[in-house]
Amino acid sequence: MEIEIIIIATLLSLSGAIFSFWQIKKDRPHQRVFWLMLAVFVFQIWFLSIRGQSREACPLADWGERLMFLSWSLTFFYLAVGSTYRVSLLGLFTAPVITVMQGGALLPNVLNRNPKVIGVTDYWREAHAALSVLSYGALTLAAVAGVMFLVLNSLLKKQSFTTGLFGKFPPLTTITTSMVRLTWVGVTILTFGVGASFKMEGIESSVHLWVALMSWLSYLVLLIAKATRGMTNLRFSWSVILLLGLSIAAFVSV
Amino acid sequence: MPIYCLGLNYRSAPVEVRERFAILDSRQGEEAKQMVLQAGVSEAVVLSTCNRTEYYLVGSESDWAGFKHFIIRHLSLDSIAQECFYDYKGREAAKHLCRVMSGMDSMVLGETEIFGQVKKAYQLALEVQATRGNLNQLFQKAISVAKKVRNSTQIQMGQTSIGNVAVDLAEKIFGDLGKSPVMIIGAGEMSRVTGQSLLSRGAKSIFVANRSFDKAESLAQEMSGKAVRFDDWADTLSQVDVVISSTSAPHYLIGPDDIEAVRRKRKFRPLFLIDIAVPRDINPEVTSIEEVYLYDIDALEQIADKARDKRQAQLKLCEEIVKEAVEGMSIFGVVESS
Repeated sequence: MEIEIIIIATLLSLSGAIFSFWQIKKDRPHQRVFWLMLAVFVFQIWFLSIRGQSREACPLADWGERLMFLSWSLTFFYLAVGSTYRVSLLGLFTAPVITVMQGGALLPNVLNRNPKVIGVTDYWREAHAALSVLSYGALTLAAVAGVMFLVLNSLLKKQSFTTGLFGKFPPLTTITTSMVRLTWVGVTILTFGVGASFKMEGIESSVHLWVALMSWLSYLVLLIAKATRGMTNLRFSWSVILLLGLSIAAFVSV
Repeated sequence: MPIYCLGLNYRSAPVEVRERFAILDSRQGEEAKQMVLQAGVSEAVVLSTCNRTEYYLVGSESDWAGFKHFIIRHLSLDSIAQECFYDYKGREAAKHLCRVMSGMDSMVLGETEIFGQVKKAYQLALEVQATRGNLNQLFQKAISVAKKVRNSTQIQMGQTSIGNVAVDLAEKIFGDLGKSPVMIIGAGEMSRVTGQSLLSRGAKSIFVANRSFDKAESLAQEMSGKAVRFDDWADTLSQVDVVISSTSAPHYLIGPDDIEAVRRKRKFRPLFLIDIAVPRDINPEVTSIEEVYLYDIDALEQIADKARDKRQAQLKLCEEIVKEAVEGMSIFGVVESS
Protein backbone atom coordinates (compact mmCIF):
# COMPACT_ATOMS: atom_id res chain seq x y z
CA MET A 1 0.00 0.00 0.00
CA GLU A 2 2.80 2.44 0.97
CA ILE A 3 4.54 1.90 -2.37
CA GLU A 4 1.33 2.72 -4.25
CA ILE A 5 0.93 5.90 -2.21
CA ILE A 6 4.50 6.98 -3.00
CA ILE A 7 3.94 6.22 -6.70
CA ILE A 8 0.79 8.37 -6.77
CA ALA A 9 2.53 11.20 -4.85
CA THR A 10 5.50 11.00 -7.23
CA LEU A 11 3.27 11.04 -10.32
CA LEU A 12 1.43 14.06 -8.92
CA SER A 13 4.61 16.00 -8.18
CA LEU A 14 5.97 15.03 -11.61
CA SER A 15 2.73 16.32 -13.16
CA GLY A 16 3.22 19.53 -11.16
CA ALA A 17 6.72 19.95 -12.60
CA ILE A 18 5.63 19.19 -16.18
CA PHE A 19 2.47 21.29 -15.91
CA SER A 20 4.40 24.20 -14.45
CA PHE A 21 6.99 24.01 -17.25
CA TRP A 22 4.28 23.69 -19.91
CA GLN A 23 2.39 26.70 -18.60
CA ILE A 24 5.53 28.84 -18.57
CA LYS A 25 6.20 27.77 -22.15
CA LYS A 26 2.64 28.64 -23.14
CA ASP A 27 2.90 31.90 -21.20
CA ARG A 28 -0.11 31.11 -19.03
CA PRO A 29 -0.77 31.54 -15.32
CA HIS A 30 0.39 28.63 -13.17
CA GLN A 31 -1.68 28.64 -9.96
CA ARG A 32 -2.89 25.06 -10.57
CA VAL A 33 0.53 23.73 -9.56
CA PHE A 34 -0.35 24.77 -6.00
CA TRP A 35 -3.36 22.42 -6.01
CA LEU A 36 -1.32 19.54 -7.44
CA MET A 37 1.21 20.05 -4.66
CA LEU A 38 -1.58 20.10 -2.10
CA ALA A 39 -2.66 16.68 -3.40
CA VAL A 40 0.97 15.49 -3.09
CA PHE A 41 0.92 16.73 0.52
CA VAL A 42 -2.18 14.70 1.31
CA PHE A 43 -0.59 11.50 -0.02
CA GLN A 44 2.61 12.19 1.91
CA ILE A 45 0.63 12.57 5.15
CA TRP A 46 -1.18 9.33 4.35
CA PHE A 47 2.13 7.50 3.85
CA LEU A 48 3.70 8.93 7.03
CA SER A 49 0.59 8.10 9.01
CA ILE A 50 0.66 4.43 7.90
CA ARG A 51 4.39 4.11 8.57
CA GLY A 52 4.10 5.91 11.92
CA GLN A 53 1.48 3.39 13.01
CA SER A 54 3.62 0.47 11.78
CA ARG A 55 6.69 1.75 13.58
CA GLU A 56 4.80 3.05 16.61
CA ALA A 57 7.34 5.86 16.41
CA CYS A 58 8.32 8.79 14.21
CA PRO A 59 8.75 7.21 10.73
CA LEU A 60 12.44 7.90 10.23
CA ALA A 61 13.85 4.41 10.60
CA ASP A 62 14.94 3.77 7.00
CA TRP A 63 16.01 5.93 4.05
CA GLY A 64 12.65 5.62 2.32
CA GLU A 65 10.91 7.06 5.38
CA ARG A 66 13.52 9.81 5.77
CA LEU A 67 13.17 10.86 2.12
CA MET A 68 9.38 10.88 2.41
CA PHE A 69 9.51 12.86 5.67
CA LEU A 70 11.86 15.37 4.04
CA SER A 71 9.58 15.59 0.97
CA TRP A 72 6.61 16.21 3.25
CA SER A 73 8.50 18.96 5.09
CA LEU A 74 9.55 20.60 1.81
CA THR A 75 5.99 20.41 0.44
CA PHE A 76 4.64 21.85 3.70
CA PHE A 77 6.92 24.90 3.49
CA TYR A 78 6.24 25.28 -0.24
CA LEU A 79 2.50 25.41 0.42
CA ALA A 80 3.00 27.87 3.29
CA VAL A 81 5.37 30.17 1.38
CA GLY A 82 3.58 29.81 -1.94
CA SER A 83 0.35 31.11 -0.50
CA THR A 84 1.78 33.65 1.93
CA TYR A 85 4.36 35.42 -0.16
CA ARG A 86 2.93 34.57 -3.58
CA VAL A 87 6.36 33.54 -4.82
CA SER A 88 5.47 32.54 -8.35
CA LEU A 89 7.62 29.95 -10.10
CA LEU A 90 8.51 28.31 -6.78
CA GLY A 91 6.42 25.33 -7.90
CA LEU A 92 8.47 24.94 -11.07
CA PHE A 93 11.63 24.72 -8.99
CA THR A 94 10.25 22.74 -6.03
CA ALA A 95 8.16 20.06 -7.77
CA PRO A 96 11.17 18.41 -9.49
CA VAL A 97 13.11 18.28 -6.18
CA ILE A 98 10.16 16.58 -4.47
CA THR A 99 9.78 14.19 -7.42
CA VAL A 100 13.44 13.18 -7.19
CA MET A 101 13.22 12.64 -3.39
CA GLN A 102 10.05 10.55 -3.64
CA GLY A 103 11.49 8.71 -6.63
CA GLY A 104 14.51 7.93 -4.46
CA ALA A 105 12.22 6.35 -1.89
CA LEU A 106 10.96 3.99 -4.62
CA LEU A 107 14.41 2.62 -5.44
CA PRO A 108 15.03 -1.00 -4.43
CA ASN A 109 16.05 -1.56 -0.79
CA VAL A 110 15.48 2.07 0.15
CA LEU A 111 12.10 1.59 1.81
CA ASN A 112 11.73 -1.39 4.11
CA ARG A 113 8.71 -3.34 2.82
CA ASN A 114 8.17 -5.01 6.20
CA PRO A 115 8.70 -2.28 8.78
CA LYS A 116 9.33 -3.54 12.28
CA VAL A 117 7.84 -1.96 15.35
CA ILE A 118 10.36 0.29 16.99
CA GLY A 119 8.30 1.98 19.68
CA VAL A 120 9.22 5.21 21.41
CA THR A 121 12.00 4.62 23.91
CA ASP A 122 13.48 8.12 24.01
CA TYR A 123 11.24 11.09 23.38
CA TRP A 124 14.22 13.46 22.99
CA ARG A 125 15.61 11.29 20.21
CA GLU A 126 12.22 11.37 18.46
CA ALA A 127 12.02 15.16 18.86
CA HIS A 128 15.58 15.61 17.61
CA ALA A 129 14.98 13.53 14.47
CA ALA A 130 11.56 15.01 13.64
CA LEU A 131 12.58 18.64 14.23
CA SER A 132 15.81 18.25 12.27
CA VAL A 133 14.06 16.75 9.25
CA LEU A 134 11.39 19.47 9.46
CA SER A 135 14.09 22.14 9.50
CA TYR A 136 15.75 20.57 6.44
CA GLY A 137 12.46 21.10 4.59
CA ALA A 138 12.67 24.86 5.21
CA LEU A 139 16.39 24.94 4.46
CA THR A 140 15.91 22.97 1.23
CA LEU A 141 13.22 25.41 0.13
CA ALA A 142 15.56 28.31 1.00
CA ALA A 143 18.13 26.68 -1.29
CA VAL A 144 15.47 26.32 -4.01
CA ALA A 145 14.79 30.07 -3.64
CA GLY A 146 18.58 30.55 -3.84
CA VAL A 147 18.63 28.76 -7.20
CA MET A 148 15.76 30.95 -8.36
CA PHE A 149 17.74 34.01 -7.34
CA LEU A 150 20.81 32.81 -9.27
CA VAL A 151 18.74 32.22 -12.42
CA LEU A 152 16.99 35.61 -12.29
CA ASN A 153 20.19 37.41 -11.35
CA SER A 154 21.94 35.85 -14.34
CA LEU A 155 19.09 36.85 -16.69
CA LEU A 156 19.19 40.43 -15.37
CA LYS A 157 22.96 40.69 -15.59
CA LYS A 158 23.11 39.20 -19.10
CA GLN A 159 20.12 41.32 -20.14
CA SER A 160 18.33 38.24 -21.40
CA PHE A 161 14.70 39.25 -21.12
CA THR A 162 13.08 37.41 -24.00
CA THR A 163 12.55 34.06 -22.29
CA GLY A 164 9.06 33.37 -20.96
CA LEU A 165 10.74 32.42 -17.69
CA PHE A 166 11.94 36.00 -17.07
CA GLY A 167 8.47 37.48 -17.09
CA LYS A 168 7.18 34.88 -14.63
CA PHE A 169 9.81 35.41 -11.95
CA PRO A 170 8.81 37.31 -8.82
CA PRO A 171 10.94 40.39 -8.05
CA LEU A 172 14.52 39.71 -6.99
CA THR A 173 13.97 41.23 -3.54
CA THR A 174 10.88 39.05 -2.97
CA ILE A 175 12.95 35.94 -3.66
CA THR A 176 15.66 37.20 -1.31
CA THR A 177 13.17 38.01 1.46
CA SER A 178 11.64 34.53 1.19
CA MET A 179 15.09 32.94 1.16
CA VAL A 180 16.17 34.81 4.30
CA ARG A 181 12.89 34.10 6.14
CA LEU A 182 12.97 30.41 5.23
CA THR A 183 16.55 30.17 6.45
CA TRP A 184 15.55 31.82 9.75
CA VAL A 185 12.62 29.42 10.11
CA GLY A 186 14.85 26.43 9.29
CA VAL A 187 17.59 27.50 11.68
CA THR A 188 15.11 28.20 14.48
CA ILE A 189 13.60 24.71 14.14
CA LEU A 190 17.08 23.20 13.80
CA THR A 191 18.11 24.96 17.02
CA PHE A 192 15.38 23.08 18.88
CA GLY A 193 16.37 19.87 17.05
CA VAL A 194 20.02 20.27 18.04
CA GLY A 195 18.98 21.29 21.56
CA ALA A 196 16.89 18.11 21.87
CA SER A 197 19.90 16.00 20.88
CA PHE A 198 21.74 17.08 24.04
CA LYS A 199 18.92 15.63 26.13
CA MET A 200 19.04 12.29 24.33
CA GLU A 201 20.06 9.19 26.23
CA GLY A 202 23.60 8.02 25.55
CA ILE A 203 24.69 11.01 23.42
CA GLU A 204 28.27 10.67 22.38
CA SER A 205 30.70 12.40 20.08
CA SER A 206 30.10 11.25 16.50
CA VAL A 207 30.62 12.47 12.94
CA HIS A 208 26.89 13.12 12.72
CA LEU A 209 26.91 15.28 15.84
CA TRP A 210 29.85 17.40 14.72
CA VAL A 211 28.64 17.83 11.14
CA ALA A 212 25.18 18.77 12.43
CA LEU A 213 26.62 21.27 14.92
CA MET A 214 28.89 22.78 12.27
CA SER A 215 26.01 23.07 9.84
CA TRP A 216 23.75 24.74 12.45
CA LEU A 217 26.50 27.15 13.52
CA SER A 218 27.35 28.06 9.90
CA TYR A 219 23.72 28.92 9.17
CA LEU A 220 23.57 31.02 12.31
CA VAL A 221 26.75 32.94 11.44
CA LEU A 222 25.44 33.48 7.90
CA LEU A 223 22.14 34.95 9.12
CA ILE A 224 23.78 37.16 11.73
CA ALA A 225 26.28 38.45 9.15
CA LYS A 226 23.46 39.20 6.70
CA ALA A 227 21.45 41.05 9.34
CA THR A 228 24.29 43.07 10.83
CA ARG A 229 27.02 43.93 8.35
CA GLY A 230 25.07 43.07 5.21
CA MET A 231 25.91 40.71 2.37
CA THR A 232 25.21 40.63 -1.35
CA ASN A 233 22.22 38.52 -2.22
CA LEU A 234 24.39 36.54 -4.64
CA ARG A 235 26.72 35.46 -1.84
CA PHE A 236 23.83 34.70 0.46
CA SER A 237 22.23 32.50 -2.22
CA TRP A 238 25.41 30.54 -2.85
CA SER A 239 25.94 30.15 0.91
CA VAL A 240 22.43 28.81 1.45
CA ILE A 241 22.87 26.30 -1.39
CA LEU A 242 26.31 25.14 -0.20
CA LEU A 243 25.23 24.92 3.43
CA LEU A 244 22.36 22.68 2.40
CA GLY A 245 25.04 20.33 1.11
CA LEU A 246 26.62 20.34 4.57
CA SER A 247 23.21 19.69 6.16
CA ILE A 248 22.64 16.76 3.83
CA ALA A 249 26.04 15.42 4.89
CA ALA A 250 24.81 15.53 8.51
CA PHE A 251 21.62 13.81 7.40
CA VAL A 252 23.52 11.08 5.57
CA SER A 253 25.92 10.48 8.45
CA VAL A 254 23.09 9.32 10.76
CA MET B 1 -30.21 53.41 -41.25
CA PRO B 2 -26.50 53.08 -42.00
CA ILE B 3 -23.66 53.91 -39.63
CA TYR B 4 -21.05 56.42 -40.66
CA CYS B 5 -17.67 57.33 -39.30
CA LEU B 6 -16.00 60.58 -40.29
CA GLY B 7 -12.70 61.60 -38.77
CA LEU B 8 -9.02 62.29 -38.88
CA ASN B 9 -6.11 60.81 -36.97
CA TYR B 10 -2.33 61.00 -36.56
CA ARG B 11 -1.84 59.13 -39.83
CA SER B 12 -4.08 61.29 -41.97
CA ALA B 13 -3.36 64.69 -40.41
CA PRO B 14 -0.39 66.47 -38.85
CA VAL B 15 -0.75 67.86 -35.35
CA GLU B 16 -1.42 71.42 -36.58
CA VAL B 17 -4.51 70.12 -38.38
CA ARG B 18 -5.57 67.73 -35.60
CA GLU B 19 -5.44 70.45 -32.96
CA ARG B 20 -7.96 72.54 -34.95
CA PHE B 21 -10.57 69.82 -34.59
CA ALA B 22 -9.78 68.64 -31.08
CA ILE B 23 -12.81 68.77 -28.78
CA LEU B 24 -12.45 69.00 -25.01
CA ASP B 25 -13.71 66.02 -23.00
CA SER B 26 -16.35 68.24 -21.41
CA ARG B 27 -17.67 69.27 -24.86
CA GLN B 28 -17.88 65.86 -26.52
CA GLY B 29 -21.37 65.10 -25.25
CA GLU B 30 -22.64 68.52 -26.30
CA GLU B 31 -21.07 68.12 -29.75
CA ALA B 32 -22.86 64.76 -30.15
CA LYS B 33 -26.12 66.43 -29.16
CA GLN B 34 -25.55 69.15 -31.79
CA MET B 35 -25.09 66.44 -34.40
CA VAL B 36 -28.42 64.75 -33.72
CA LEU B 37 -30.18 68.06 -34.16
CA GLN B 38 -29.22 67.96 -37.84
CA ALA B 39 -31.70 66.69 -40.34
CA GLY B 40 -31.06 63.07 -41.26
CA VAL B 41 -28.90 62.28 -38.22
CA SER B 42 -30.56 60.13 -35.60
CA GLU B 43 -27.62 59.12 -33.41
CA ALA B 44 -24.09 60.45 -32.75
CA VAL B 45 -20.97 59.79 -30.68
CA VAL B 46 -18.03 62.19 -30.83
CA LEU B 47 -14.58 60.93 -29.93
CA SER B 48 -11.64 63.29 -29.53
CA THR B 49 -8.16 62.40 -28.24
CA CYS B 50 -4.73 63.87 -28.93
CA ASN B 51 -4.35 61.45 -31.83
CA ARG B 52 -7.81 61.53 -33.40
CA THR B 53 -11.19 63.22 -33.71
CA GLU B 54 -14.00 61.02 -35.02
CA TYR B 55 -17.75 61.31 -35.47
CA TYR B 56 -19.82 58.12 -35.35
CA LEU B 57 -23.24 58.80 -36.77
CA VAL B 58 -26.40 57.04 -37.80
CA GLY B 59 -28.29 58.69 -40.62
CA SER B 60 -30.25 57.96 -43.74
CA GLU B 61 -28.31 56.93 -46.82
CA SER B 62 -29.90 59.61 -48.96
CA ASP B 63 -28.80 62.39 -46.60
CA TRP B 64 -25.17 61.28 -46.41
CA ALA B 65 -23.88 63.70 -49.06
CA GLY B 66 -25.81 66.56 -47.52
CA PHE B 67 -24.66 65.62 -44.07
CA LYS B 68 -21.04 65.48 -45.15
CA HIS B 69 -21.49 68.95 -46.59
CA PHE B 70 -22.90 70.10 -43.27
CA ILE B 71 -19.86 68.73 -41.39
CA ILE B 72 -17.55 70.57 -43.78
CA ARG B 73 -19.38 73.81 -43.04
CA HIS B 74 -19.78 73.09 -39.33
CA LEU B 75 -16.08 72.40 -38.86
CA SER B 76 -15.05 75.13 -41.32
CA LEU B 77 -12.97 72.63 -43.28
CA ASP B 78 -10.74 74.17 -45.91
CA SER B 79 -9.61 72.07 -48.85
CA ILE B 80 -6.39 70.98 -47.08
CA ALA B 81 -8.27 69.88 -43.99
CA GLN B 82 -10.87 68.07 -46.13
CA GLU B 83 -8.09 65.90 -47.54
CA CYS B 84 -7.14 64.86 -44.03
CA PHE B 85 -10.58 63.44 -43.22
CA TYR B 86 -11.49 59.82 -43.89
CA ASP B 87 -14.94 58.34 -43.88
CA TYR B 88 -16.26 54.81 -43.44
CA LYS B 89 -19.72 53.44 -43.93
CA GLY B 90 -21.59 50.49 -42.48
CA ARG B 91 -19.46 47.42 -41.82
CA GLU B 92 -16.25 49.36 -42.45
CA ALA B 93 -17.24 51.94 -39.83
CA ALA B 94 -17.94 49.17 -37.31
CA LYS B 95 -14.63 47.53 -38.12
CA HIS B 96 -12.82 50.82 -37.71
CA LEU B 97 -14.38 51.41 -34.28
CA CYS B 98 -13.38 47.92 -33.12
CA ARG B 99 -9.81 48.47 -34.32
CA VAL B 100 -9.62 51.88 -32.63
CA MET B 101 -10.98 50.57 -29.34
CA SER B 102 -8.62 47.57 -29.35
CA GLY B 103 -5.59 49.83 -29.73
CA MET B 104 -4.90 48.43 -33.22
CA ASP B 105 -5.16 51.86 -34.82
CA SER B 106 -3.14 53.65 -32.15
CA MET B 107 0.20 55.36 -32.59
CA VAL B 108 1.61 53.00 -29.94
CA LEU B 109 0.19 49.68 -31.10
CA GLY B 110 -1.85 47.95 -28.40
CA GLU B 111 -1.98 50.91 -25.99
CA THR B 112 -4.86 50.66 -23.54
CA GLU B 113 -5.74 54.30 -22.88
CA ILE B 114 -7.87 54.52 -26.02
CA PHE B 115 -10.27 51.91 -24.63
CA GLY B 116 -11.22 54.20 -21.76
CA GLN B 117 -11.36 57.25 -24.02
CA VAL B 118 -13.82 55.63 -26.44
CA LYS B 119 -15.90 54.31 -23.56
CA LYS B 120 -16.05 57.79 -22.05
CA ALA B 121 -17.03 59.39 -25.37
CA TYR B 122 -19.85 56.87 -25.71
CA GLN B 123 -20.94 57.47 -22.12
CA LEU B 124 -21.09 61.23 -22.69
CA ALA B 125 -23.22 60.76 -25.81
CA LEU B 126 -25.46 58.36 -23.93
CA GLU B 127 -25.98 60.89 -21.13
CA VAL B 128 -27.22 63.56 -23.54
CA GLN B 129 -29.42 60.95 -25.28
CA ALA B 130 -27.52 61.25 -28.55
CA THR B 131 -27.44 57.47 -28.97
CA ARG B 132 -30.16 54.87 -29.43
CA GLY B 133 -30.43 51.27 -30.58
CA ASN B 134 -27.87 51.24 -33.37
CA LEU B 135 -24.92 53.03 -31.80
CA ASN B 136 -25.66 51.47 -28.41
CA GLN B 137 -25.38 47.99 -29.95
CA LEU B 138 -22.33 48.94 -31.96
CA PHE B 139 -20.41 50.43 -29.02
CA GLN B 140 -21.36 47.59 -26.67
CA LYS B 141 -20.16 45.12 -29.24
CA ALA B 142 -16.94 47.11 -29.81
CA ILE B 143 -16.27 47.05 -26.05
CA SER B 144 -16.58 43.27 -25.93
CA VAL B 145 -14.44 42.87 -29.08
CA ALA B 146 -11.72 45.08 -27.55
CA LYS B 147 -11.81 43.03 -24.36
CA LYS B 148 -11.53 39.81 -26.37
CA VAL B 149 -8.56 41.20 -28.33
CA ARG B 150 -6.89 42.23 -25.09
CA ASN B 151 -7.51 38.92 -23.33
CA SER B 152 -6.86 36.44 -26.09
CA THR B 153 -3.86 38.01 -27.79
CA GLN B 154 -0.59 39.54 -26.62
CA ILE B 155 -1.07 42.89 -28.34
CA GLN B 156 -0.60 44.71 -25.04
CA MET B 157 2.35 42.65 -23.86
CA GLY B 158 5.64 44.30 -22.98
CA GLN B 159 6.59 47.95 -22.74
CA THR B 160 7.23 50.02 -25.82
CA SER B 161 8.68 53.18 -24.27
CA ILE B 162 12.11 53.50 -22.68
CA GLY B 163 10.62 54.98 -19.49
CA ASN B 164 8.23 52.09 -18.98
CA VAL B 165 10.86 49.49 -19.85
CA ALA B 166 13.09 50.99 -17.13
CA VAL B 167 10.22 50.91 -14.64
CA ASP B 168 9.44 47.26 -15.48
CA LEU B 169 13.06 46.32 -14.83
CA ALA B 170 13.09 48.30 -11.58
CA GLU B 171 9.98 46.39 -10.48
CA LYS B 172 11.59 43.09 -11.43
CA ILE B 173 14.40 43.92 -9.03
CA PHE B 174 12.63 45.73 -6.19
CA GLY B 175 8.95 44.84 -6.53
CA ASP B 176 7.23 47.70 -4.74
CA LEU B 177 8.90 50.91 -5.93
CA GLY B 178 7.37 52.84 -3.04
CA LYS B 179 10.19 51.55 -0.85
CA SER B 180 12.97 52.30 -3.35
CA PRO B 181 14.41 55.82 -3.32
CA VAL B 182 15.40 57.17 -6.75
CA MET B 183 18.11 59.65 -7.76
CA ILE B 184 17.93 61.49 -11.07
CA ILE B 185 21.24 62.94 -12.24
CA GLY B 186 20.70 65.56 -14.96
CA ALA B 187 17.42 67.43 -15.27
CA GLY B 188 16.84 66.90 -19.02
CA GLU B 189 13.69 65.74 -20.78
CA MET B 190 14.63 62.03 -20.78
CA SER B 191 15.29 62.15 -17.04
CA ARG B 192 11.97 63.83 -16.48
CA VAL B 193 10.03 61.29 -18.59
CA THR B 194 11.72 58.28 -16.93
CA GLY B 195 11.28 59.84 -13.48
CA GLN B 196 7.59 60.41 -14.22
CA SER B 197 7.21 56.76 -15.25
CA LEU B 198 8.71 55.68 -11.93
CA LEU B 199 6.45 58.09 -10.04
CA SER B 200 3.37 56.81 -11.84
CA ARG B 201 4.24 53.28 -10.71
CA GLY B 202 4.65 54.10 -7.04
CA ALA B 203 8.13 55.60 -6.53
CA LYS B 204 7.89 58.12 -3.69
CA SER B 205 11.30 59.36 -2.64
CA ILE B 206 13.07 61.17 -5.50
CA PHE B 207 16.36 63.11 -5.40
CA VAL B 208 17.40 65.34 -8.32
CA ALA B 209 20.99 66.41 -8.91
CA ASN B 210 21.94 68.78 -11.73
CA ARG B 211 24.80 71.14 -12.52
CA SER B 212 22.30 74.00 -12.51
CA PHE B 213 20.76 73.79 -9.04
CA ASP B 214 17.77 75.91 -10.16
CA LYS B 215 16.85 73.27 -12.74
CA ALA B 216 17.31 70.53 -10.16
CA GLU B 217 14.97 72.38 -7.80
CA SER B 218 12.41 72.91 -10.54
CA LEU B 219 12.35 69.20 -11.52
CA ALA B 220 12.40 68.12 -7.87
CA GLN B 221 9.40 70.35 -7.20
CA GLU B 222 7.56 68.89 -10.19
CA MET B 223 8.13 65.39 -8.81
CA SER B 224 7.60 66.26 -5.15
CA GLY B 225 11.24 65.28 -4.60
CA LYS B 226 14.34 66.87 -3.17
CA ALA B 227 17.05 68.78 -5.06
CA VAL B 228 20.65 67.82 -4.37
CA ARG B 229 23.75 69.90 -5.17
CA PHE B 230 25.60 68.29 -8.07
CA ASP B 231 28.76 67.89 -6.00
CA ASP B 232 26.77 65.89 -3.43
CA TRP B 233 25.33 63.19 -5.71
CA ALA B 234 27.96 60.66 -4.62
CA ASP B 235 26.88 61.05 -0.97
CA THR B 236 23.25 60.55 -1.93
CA LEU B 237 24.16 57.29 -3.72
CA SER B 238 24.21 55.48 -0.38
CA GLN B 239 20.54 56.34 0.20
CA VAL B 240 19.04 55.31 -3.14
CA ASP B 241 18.19 52.05 -4.95
CA VAL B 242 17.62 53.45 -8.44
CA VAL B 243 19.76 55.97 -10.35
CA ILE B 244 18.71 57.56 -13.64
CA SER B 245 21.58 59.40 -15.26
CA SER B 246 21.19 61.64 -18.28
CA THR B 247 23.73 64.45 -18.22
CA SER B 248 25.65 65.96 -21.12
CA ALA B 249 29.00 65.17 -19.49
CA PRO B 250 31.59 64.13 -22.11
CA HIS B 251 33.07 61.48 -19.79
CA TYR B 252 31.91 58.84 -17.31
CA LEU B 253 30.34 60.36 -14.23
CA ILE B 254 29.85 57.19 -12.18
CA GLY B 255 32.55 54.56 -11.98
CA PRO B 256 33.19 51.39 -9.97
CA ASP B 257 35.07 53.37 -7.29
CA ASP B 258 32.04 55.55 -6.58
CA ILE B 259 29.93 52.47 -5.93
CA GLU B 260 32.61 50.59 -4.02
CA ALA B 261 32.80 53.59 -1.67
CA VAL B 262 29.16 53.22 -0.60
CA ARG B 263 28.62 49.44 -0.81
CA ARG B 264 29.06 48.75 2.89
CA LYS B 265 26.94 51.75 3.85
CA ARG B 266 24.22 50.43 1.53
CA LYS B 267 24.56 47.00 3.15
CA PHE B 268 25.08 45.56 -0.34
CA ARG B 269 21.48 46.19 -1.37
CA PRO B 270 20.76 45.89 -5.12
CA LEU B 271 21.49 49.06 -7.10
CA PHE B 272 19.69 49.64 -10.39
CA LEU B 273 21.43 52.08 -12.74
CA ILE B 274 19.76 53.50 -15.85
CA ASP B 275 22.14 55.32 -18.17
CA ILE B 276 20.19 57.19 -20.84
CA ALA B 277 22.97 59.65 -21.66
CA VAL B 278 24.94 59.74 -24.91
CA PRO B 279 27.90 59.77 -24.37
CA ARG B 280 27.29 57.42 -21.46
CA ASP B 281 27.48 58.67 -17.87
CA ILE B 282 28.17 55.32 -16.21
CA ASN B 283 31.25 53.23 -16.71
CA PRO B 284 30.08 49.74 -17.82
CA GLU B 285 32.70 48.20 -15.54
CA VAL B 286 30.33 48.81 -12.62
CA THR B 287 28.45 45.66 -13.71
CA SER B 288 31.29 43.60 -12.25
CA ILE B 289 29.99 44.62 -8.82
CA GLU B 290 27.63 41.85 -7.73
CA GLU B 291 24.61 43.89 -6.68
CA VAL B 292 24.73 46.40 -9.55
CA TYR B 293 22.38 46.15 -12.53
CA LEU B 294 23.22 48.62 -15.31
CA TYR B 295 21.19 49.29 -18.45
CA ASP B 296 22.08 51.89 -21.06
CA ILE B 297 19.83 53.46 -23.67
CA ASP B 298 20.60 50.78 -26.28
CA ALA B 299 19.64 47.96 -23.91
CA LEU B 300 16.37 49.67 -23.02
CA GLU B 301 15.62 50.51 -26.67
CA GLN B 302 16.24 46.88 -27.64
CA ILE B 303 13.68 45.68 -25.11
CA ALA B 304 11.16 48.26 -26.34
CA ASP B 305 11.82 47.20 -29.96
CA LYS B 306 11.23 43.56 -29.14
CA ALA B 307 7.95 44.40 -27.45
CA ARG B 308 6.89 46.43 -30.51
CA ASP B 309 7.81 43.54 -32.82
CA LYS B 310 5.88 41.12 -30.60
CA ARG B 311 2.82 43.36 -30.70
CA GLN B 312 3.12 43.74 -34.48
CA ALA B 313 3.23 39.95 -34.83
CA GLN B 314 -0.08 39.75 -32.92
CA LEU B 315 -1.85 42.13 -35.28
CA LYS B 316 -2.96 39.40 -37.72
CA LEU B 317 -4.64 37.48 -34.94
CA CYS B 318 -6.35 40.67 -33.73
CA GLU B 319 -7.58 41.45 -37.25
CA GLU B 320 -9.16 37.99 -37.43
CA ILE B 321 -11.00 38.55 -34.15
CA VAL B 322 -12.30 41.92 -35.36
CA LYS B 323 -13.26 40.53 -38.76
CA GLU B 324 -15.18 37.66 -37.23
CA ALA B 325 -16.95 39.98 -34.78
CA VAL B 326 -17.92 42.49 -37.45
CA GLU B 327 -19.28 39.76 -39.71
CA GLY B 328 -21.35 38.54 -36.78
CA MET B 329 -22.75 42.00 -36.19
CA SER B 330 -25.08 41.78 -39.19
CA ILE B 331 -27.39 39.61 -37.12
CA PHE B 332 -28.15 42.67 -34.98
CA GLY B 333 -29.04 44.67 -38.06
CA VAL B 334 -26.51 47.28 -37.04
CA VAL B 335 -24.49 47.43 -40.23
CA GLU B 336 -26.85 45.85 -42.68
CA SER B 337 -26.80 48.82 -44.99
CA SER B 338 -23.10 48.70 -45.76
